[in-house]
Amino acid sequence: MRVAIIGGGIVGLSTAYFLAKNGIDVSVFERKYLVYGASGRNPGGVTAQMENEFMIKLALESMRLYDEIQSEIGFNFLLRRDGYLKIADEKDAEKLENEVKFQRRHGVDVEILQPEEVKEIFPDINTESFSIASYFADGCIVFPWAVIWGLAKGCRDLGVKIYDYTPAKVVVEKGEVVGVKAKELHRADFVVNAAGAWSNEISREAGVELGNKIVKEEICVTESLKPYINPYILDISSGIYVTQTVRGEVIGGIVGSEVNAIDFKGSLNFLIRYAKRVTQLIPKLKGLSVLRQWTGVYDVGKNGLPVIGFTKVKGFIQANGFGRNGMSTGLAAGKALAEMITKGKSKLLAHV
Amino acid sequence: MKNRKVVCRCEDVTEEEIIKAIEEGYDDLESLKRYTGVTTGPCQGKGCLMHVLRILSQKTGKSVDEIGVTTQRQPVNPVPLYILSEGEEE
Repeated sequence: MRVAIIGGGIVGLSTAYFLAKNGIDVSVFERKYLVYGASGRNPGGVTAQMENEFMIKLALESMRLYDEIQSEIGFNFLLRRDGYLKIADEKDAEKLENEVKFQRRHGVDVEILQPEEVKEIFPDINTESFSIASYFADGCIVFPWAVIWGLAKGCRDLGVKIYDYTPAKVVVEKGEVVGVKAKELHRADFVVNAAGAWSNEISREAGVELGNKIVKEEICVTESLKPYINPYILDISSGIYVTQTVRGEVIGGIVGSEVNAIDFKGSLNFLIRYAKRVTQLIPKLKGLSVLRQWTGVYDVGKNGLPVIGFTKVKGFIQANGFGRNGMSTGLAAGKALAEMITKGKSKLLAHV
Repeated sequence: MKNRKVVCRCEDVTEEEIIKAIEEGYDDLESLKRYTGVTTGPCQGKGCLMHVLRILSQKTGKSVDEIGVTTQRQPVNPVPLYILSEGEEE
């Protein structure tokens, strides 16, 4: 069996890795360089604080897989289990409390904290700047680039061919995939569309309407400090998030909003909004300088969930629409999809 | 230690480390930048990018034009958060 995967992000590479472990002949086509897309532009927060049972299952399994895979491959993902905090103002307090009840029912060990208790986890947080928090102590922060390079190494060690700077088109004949056309035709029994924000176009070429929403998000880093902000902090009321990278940079951004077309333009307005809110949350950051800002784009399935599974075109498979949850759920999704391709079914994907 | 040729002072990356990364397969500028950290410190490449281009060009045989430069991102110089926070939101 041969599988061609379009997209060298976390979902595509994870799928490739688990397929190759089953002895499948896999090729991955990345139109730019690895880490060009959302898998290389995100801040690395990993959590199971989701509002959907399926996503929680994927996240919990992914968190287990991070440990397992990095040992298997022998590449350090630079993962630290420093916890994931969601904070909210008064008007969103009830929403956050309900979310926590739902997550606890589905096996996520998450708890409600009052501002004073958050101070025990991160002393420099301004307790006046929010009213309630949800804390997931098992939450992690990974170095996304290391995750992608590690997966790529694991794939190559298993014989997967990764073609970077190689755009690829799905080739369909009589309602069935033949393979992908890059510089030449690569025949395949299955073609997986894991192209993130570019998945709509890939799908259209295969004759399948996908209709994922495209979201643009801005983010920035400051100069480096020694390790200081341990947890990942997301303010669900303002959409602002902040943590520290393994290199010591304070990294943060604002949850994105839907756009009509992909663009990577950064704005001063973003920096102003971010600076205002982040210095309220952590006043000590005021003197820190922003070194660099950038933009990422990702896709979200029509109903807010990832699109995973077979389509009306025989052999053409969707694995996209992961939104902001790619790093949290991508590993398990790839593993489950590989199972579905090799065995025809997967317990995790039973309902899709 | 005497022979250490530091190329990127902000991130403390030597010429040997850059060459090793190129040999490991991070042989396009965008990947090399991310894998080694060169051009991502406080100088944002102002001090090291040209040296990195030279090394990459010598190792791969590609011309500097062919290699291109890294994506230039704002701000041009580091700006403190307290100054940005005084700005007016649109």
